[in-house]
Amino acid sequence: MSQLSRRSFLRHSALAGGGLLVAFTLPGCSAPPRLPIAREQGDFVPNAFLQFASDGSVRFFCPRDEMGQGVTTGLTTIVAEGLDMAPQRFTVELAGAHPDYANPGMGFQVTGGSTSVKEHFTQLMTVGCELRALFLAAAAKDLGVAESALTTEDGMIVHGEARHPYGQFLTTAATLPLPEAVPLKDPATYRWIGTAFPRLDGPQKATGTAVYGIDIDVPGMEYAVVVRPPVFGATVASFDDSAARAVPGVRTVVEIATGVAVVAEHFWQAKKGAEALTVRWSASPLDGASTASLRADYAEALAMGGKEAESTGDVVKALAAAEKTVELEFWAPFLAHAPMEPMSAVVHVRENDAEVWAGTQGPGAAGGLVARHAGLDPAQVTVHQTYLGGAFGRRGTLTHVAEATQISKATGTPVKLLWTREDDLRGGLYRPASLMRIRAGLDKSGQISAWDAERAGANITPETLRNSLPALLPGMPEGIVDWVVGVADKAHRGWIVDHSSIEGLYEDYSLPNFAVRHATKEHGIPVTFWRSVGHSYTAFAKEVTMDALAEAANADPVAFRLAHLKDNPRMAGVVAKAQEAWNGWTLAPGRHLGFAAHHSFATSVAQVAEVSVDDGAIRVHRVFCAVDCGLAINPDIIRAQMEGAVMYGLTAALHGKLELENGAVKQSNFHDYPILRIDEAPKVEVVIMESQEAPTGVGEPGLPPIAPAVANAVYRATGKRLTELPLNDALRLA
Amino acid sequence: MLRFTLNGKTVETDLAPDTPLLWAVRDGFKLKGSKFGCGAGLCGACTMHVDGVAQKTCVLPLAAVAGRAVTTIEGVTATGAAEALQAAWVAQSVSQCGYCQSGQIMAASALLAQNPNPTEADVEAAMAGNICRCGCYPRIKSAVLAAAATLAPDAVVQGTPFKDAMAREASA
Repeated sequence: MSQLSRRSFLRHSALAGGGLLVAFTLPGCSAPPRLPIAREQGDFVPNAFLQFASDGSVRFFCPRDEMGQGVTTGLTTIVAEGLDMAPQRFTVELAGAHPDYANPGMGFQVTGGSTSVKEHFTQLMTVGCELRALFLAAAAKDLGVAESALTTEDGMIVHGEARHPYGQFLTTAATLPLPEAVPLKDPATYRWIGTAFPRLDGPQKATGTAVYGIDIDVPGMEYAVVVRPPVFGATVASFDDSAARAVPGVRTVVEIATGVAVVAEHFWQAKKGAEALTVRWSASPLDGASTASLRADYAEALAMGGKEAESTGDVVKALAAAEKTVELEFWAPFLAHAPMEPMSAVVHVRENDAEVWAGTQGPGAAGGLVARHAGLDPAQVTVHQTYLGGAFGRRGTLTHVAEATQISKATGTPVKLLWTREDDLRGGLYRPASLMRIRAGLDKSGQISAWDAERAGANITPETLRNSLPALLPGMPEGIVDWVVGVADKAHRGWIVDHSSIEGLYEDYSLPNFAVRHATKEHGIPVTFWRSVGHSYTAFAKEVTMDALAEAANADPVAFRLAHLKDNPRMAGVVAKAQEAWNGWTLAPGRHLGFAAHHSFATSVAQVAEVSVDDGAIRVHRVFCAVDCGLAINPDIIRAQMEGAVMYGLTAALHGKLELENGAVKQSNFHDYPILRIDEAPKVEVVIMESQEAPTGVGEPGLPPIAPAVANAVYRATGKRLTELPLNDALRLA
Repeated sequence: MLRFTLNGKTVETDLAPDTPLLWAVRDGFKLKGSKFGCGAGLCGACTMHVDGVAQKTCVLPLAAVAGRAVTTIEGVTATGAAEALQAAWVAQSVSQCGYCQSGQIMAASALLAQNPNPTEADVEAAMAGNICRCGCYPRIKSAVLAAAATLAPDAVVQGTPFKDAMAREASA
């Protein structure tokens, strides 16, 4: 069957929604919306990305959202290289909402899927090169010389000994047509691409001056805290707000779609008011549910057999004929993203327009949601994008923006809504839990002859539609949204496999006979994309199985992988590079190595983890990480993303779990949802493979291999094959 | 009316004395550099100095700082080690999302004020109360040690990309 990756799914759903988009937003589409760029007289704004001012300053409107992945530095570097002007000379602005800022790979404005550099590279290199050519043409005209007598260097037109800043030629440049078919810069002459230099947002972030959604302050602003149901699926039955209203500073109490909002002069007063509120909740289908009951449902779904997603050869026959077989069952729990900045948004709804200030992974969607809930046209909504205090997928779903809009509409004031950490951990939109089973067989030569893999759990796609359609198509009535989501949900239960659910279970190695099945089991717990999505759990199952197979084949685990990577040179390259650490590292007594490799988001990563197990606690001392992401734009940012993904992945591998108890999420804050700390952090050594291939993403691919690498090391340390996450729990129970 | 010193200036507030210092500073005095991460003293995003000691201010009531000297990220640059730390932070690109970094710098500057020559283990012990979800820990450690080295009496001061960068910020 046809496979839908997250990216292509989003594109297809956006396209599928295209007809509906026209039907529901036609009036708003009649004139192209204005670019959200404030202009001074004499400014030259050739496109949505660049603004040249007569004082010589240049602004770059970064189309993708900065959540820490370094995209403002990376995309500035690309346009800077084309324009031949140092990245440090640009003032980087976070772009507002406009179709011109769409992600070229998805067709709308979204940052995710490790796509930013991959999808914007050619676009922004072209923009830079064309404008450089334009400035050369303008300079030739103004200086009265042949263009061939001119060249450029770091923002200057060079004519013999004379140097003229680009800014000198703005007036003429604005009158000339943009040169066409300008050749892209020869990679051999790159001056900034491939060079490690400090991030452009470093000074702001080291001095506390970077502005996040939570930092926005507008005149007359009030603060809101929302009390939501303890069990997903419950709604407000009734509430008593007399005690809440008596808290000094509390101004009003408003019921909204997701709960009850307490609005006050300051945050602390709103929080105290929320604590004083008494709400009676309706019953929910999840009342009484627990992690154990959910897992039993997944086990039953696996036993009944899932829908086949992909297969080749005859896996049943191959398993029966196998010389040796390995069968393992894997568990991965629900996880929260827990970005350091909890969800926050400021929204001001007025009679004929509205504004929203927030750091999101989709400013266009934020504007759409405000329009929908304020009853306005999207053209009447101004979106102010801020830095994101972490996201990891969580800031792609903007229920908090919808909440803030409803509250501001009721109060008539600008409202800052802030989720507490408890709201964040208990408010849903999790990495879905998964139960997986892999049965694999080896032939007489020790090669894999059969690979039969299945996963049971919730699908991300219907929930994504539920949250994204109202935002992307604000003109679509609620009833139609519900109908589309219902159709998608039914389709995924019956005859389509959500590729995000199974991605990574089978693709990397040569498997002559394989089958992958998916058993959908929905419980109504909101789920979404979490850093590396399906790969975050499938790599664990796949790579632990690979080690078990290598053992059954009596083979070195790295050599065993290489023997199955003859058709996958990018993976083979990183595995061979990591083999140097695997073979070369000297280990202190009590230390053991584990290996894992995984390809995701077009990037290959192999990791070696050096681990010890003391008093039942797993400690990771050192990690080697080889990454092939094609052309390296800024090697230091790639290294930082690998380091960060290892830490984020280690939190999940060692500690991460959200449990359900009597229908409610048990964990509430960092004491029972612990995050890796500096005294647990391993040293990370990163090697970036030399490559002139097109650049690919680095935000997510560093994460999937770390959990299996650690689990494989624990096996060598203890003889215990851990197949459940988090590993510290699994080791205690093993 | 409650009085204390905020970044060297005497200030007064009529907020309830049980209001955590973090919210008084953010909402009352409009200094947004100190961040909210957990509200339970577990993550350190809200770290400020009270009489020179690093404190988690999301659980520190205003009443506890009456008459005392509070320093936030906005006021710390003028004090001792912070500038060296910020220079090392920029040079080593420590920050990713950056949200926790004010708290990290405050914890690190309190450490260096007390222990100008920390070991790796000292840094880990002093900074273990500060969570970074982006996982910048290896760089935090290395930047604190680098800052300590530049502050040593016999240190040769290298170029200052941080100062250049800040000058650009200021002129932008």
